[in-house]
Amino acid sequence: MNDIIVKSITRIIIPFAQVYGIFIILNGHVSPGGGFAGGAIIGTTLILYTLVFGREKGKKKFSHKASEIAESGGIIWFVTIGLVGLVFADRFLTNIDAGFPEGVVGSILSGGMIPLLMIGIGIKVASTMISLFNLLIDEGV
Amino acid sequence: MNIEQLPIINLLLFLLMALVIPLLKRKPFKITLILGFIVLGLVLISSSYLLWHVNNKGVIHYTFGGHEARFGIEFIVDPFSALFTTIIAGLAAIIYIYSSGDATEGIEKTEYGRYYVLLFILLMSMFGILYTNDLFNTYVFIEILSITTCAIISIKRKKDTYTSAFRYVMMNELGSLSYLFGVALIYMATGFTNITLISESIQNAFVSYPVNIVVALGFMIIGLGIKAAIFPFHIWLPDAHSAAPSTSSAILSAIVIKVYILVLVKVLFRVFKLDILNEMNISTILLVLAGVAMIMGSVFAIAQKDVKRMLGYSSVAQMGYILLGIGLLSFEGLRAAFFHILSHGLMKTALFLSVGEIIFYKKTRKVNDFDGMGFIMPVAMGVFSIAALGMIGIPLTSGFISKLNLGVAVLDQNQIIFLVILILSSLLNVIYYLPIIILAFLKNEKYRYRLKSIEPTPRTMIAPLVLLGVLIVVVGLFPNQIMVFIEAAVNSLLS
Amino acid sequence: MWLDKIVENINYIGAIALFVIGLRIVVTHSNLIKRIMGINIMGTGVFLFFVAIGNVTGGVPPIINPNVDDQLFINPIPSVLILTGIVVVVSITVYSLSLVVRIYENYKTIDQKELSRLISEENDEH
Repeated sequence: MNDIIVKSITRIIIPFAQVYGIFIILNGHVSPGGGFAGGAIIGTTLILYTLVFGREKGKKKFSHKASEIAESGGIIWFVTIGLVGLVFADRFLTNIDAGFPEGVVGSILSGGMIPLLMIGIGIKVASTMISLFNLLIDEGV
Repeated sequence: MNIEQLPIINLLLFLLMALVIPLLKRKPFKITLILGFIVLGLVLISSSYLLWHVNNKGVIHYTFGGHEARFGIEFIVDPFSALFTTIIAGLAAIIYIYSSGDATEGIEKTEYGRYYVLLFILLMSMFGILYTNDLFNTYVFIEILSITTCAIISIKRKKDTYTSAFRYVMMNELGSLSYLFGVALIYMATGFTNITLISESIQNAFVSYPVNIVVALGFMIIGLGIKAAIFPFHIWLPDAHSAAPSTSSAILSAIVIKVYILVLVKVLFRVFKLDILNEMNISTILLVLAGVAMIMGSVFAIAQKDVKRMLGYSSVAQMGYILLGIGLLSFEGLRAAFFHILSHGLMKTALFLSVGEIIFYKKTRKVNDFDGMGFIMPVAMGVFSIAALGMIGIPLTSGFISKLNLGVAVLDQNQIIFLVILILSSLLNVIYYLPIIILAFLKNEKYRYRLKSIEPTPRTMIAPLVLLGVLIVVVGLFPNQIMVFIEAAVNSLLS
Repeated sequence: MWLDKIVENINYIGAIALFVIGLRIVVTHSNLIKRIMGINIMGTGVFLFFVAIGNVTGGVPPIINPNVDDQLFINPIPSVLILTGIVVVVSITVYSLSLVVRIYENYKTIDQKELSRLISEENDEH
């Protein structure tokens, strides 16, 4: 797209949308949201960037190698946190009995391992959305 | 790290192997293959150890995160799940060795890594379906299995793979959503999704809300029937076979559709127990579906010219046999059905892998081109003949033992008409398997009964075929040790 | 009197209506993209049914407010299950859409009747 209004507005809006997405991910255990919804929002901002500025600049911002690391890293992070529960409390994905701090009910730093899991899920969902979009418009990854 | 962690360690081994493969893209491909083989070997050893442990020492319950069974997910390792996870791991290891011999025909080099990622996620989801004790968790694993199977079938970039993959996805999604609707109705009536807790309260729920339970049973049978290729819903299976590489066809027909029948068995015998099933006369419905599948599957197979489509329709008929054993709702019936799951897995894998080797070497797929094949490719046609004779039911093969057990079970429940259908279906099997064997070995005008050589295909392709041929005969001659495990599995379901 | 029963169970009736509409779309329409939409509508119907089970008359969403105590919450378990289910249906939709893109590239049509005709012509040539 070559319209200057669309490009300027997108350049201003995208950081705010990404902060909103991170806010929804981090507040997954206190209010509605969580990893899936927040990851979808961040993925949508990346798709918007690719749509407005073209395929080449989109590829430079979020390259194929970065999406590979994000996808594998997201699951490895999730499995590692689960294995902490396996080692310390004898059951996979144990929350408080494995030593994760409980915190004050209702604030962000609470709920044991749930915010950490949400961050991993959010990164993976965002990376999946942009990879699938690239696959659909590009015919070949 | 004690024995209780082994179920989740099995799943995590498969998942981590699938994650590591894209990171190894720049190293030579042999490292990936050897690492995969080590992972499959470890899982096979741990499954066998679990099988020995639950048969001698007791059942293992494993709740995730320590949450109690009402709110959390529970894995349960009992004789039923330990037996079938060992069988699946063994068959998967044999197919894996075959696929590493560069016989994944038509797949481009860059796609090899992706093929194995899909294969390991598929194995993880099959283990998850068998271990889990929660109905909704089963739904999630069933969906993962559907997507990866569909991707593994449509991995060739040819024109006709895409339409058959689309039909596959549509029909399997209908099946999954019907299953989920059944789970929703059961949750509405009982308030639990955990299978143990549902089975305790299903009788009260049936008295108070009979409509919910009956409709839930109907939706679940239809949903799982679509996914397991039971007769009226089998339409996707032959198209999927004709478009797929041979390793994928073997995985689909020998392992994947069996897992859905195992879910149906779990749902019928553990969620709705025998009293409700007898009251609603489900036995008649299942037996009629099975009888129609046995006859019509074979009738369609006779008319096929492409050998892989013929094997696909043959699978439809064999699923009818398994459903016959289940529909009798008795100890002998279930025992015959489980033995047929094992023996049909071995025979269908042998058939598809040997056909794969013939396609790899001779580039032909039509039944009429098998003329004289027995002397160009003796090992492949030899194993094909042993497996085909097993499908017909000749003694000395495992197919004979399973048909014998099915016949005994049918007579035990006094359903004489199904014995007639069983014999008729075996005769129909003869009509389409025996001409291939005769064409290959006895009809050759060109080769004058002279064995040219053992065919020049890679050793990793021939060795699994020979192993499968030997296993079919050995299981046919000495079935007693395996029957011990199968009877323990049936007892754990019926009690 | 029977109108009372319908108003009470309106959630369930809506969910079953969506399921049946989605099923009809998948089975009868010939455009491939409409079939994918039909699967989504069916999925939405099943999820609505599930969530409607957890509804408690007069309940509030299950979020703890530290200031007010002793509230009547609706059942949170079906909502959590459906969150996972939605992700599954979305991923299947994406996969089907990529298959439709490839079919369009190869056959230049996305109508099922045209596709059957083209495929049977190809098979007759063999």
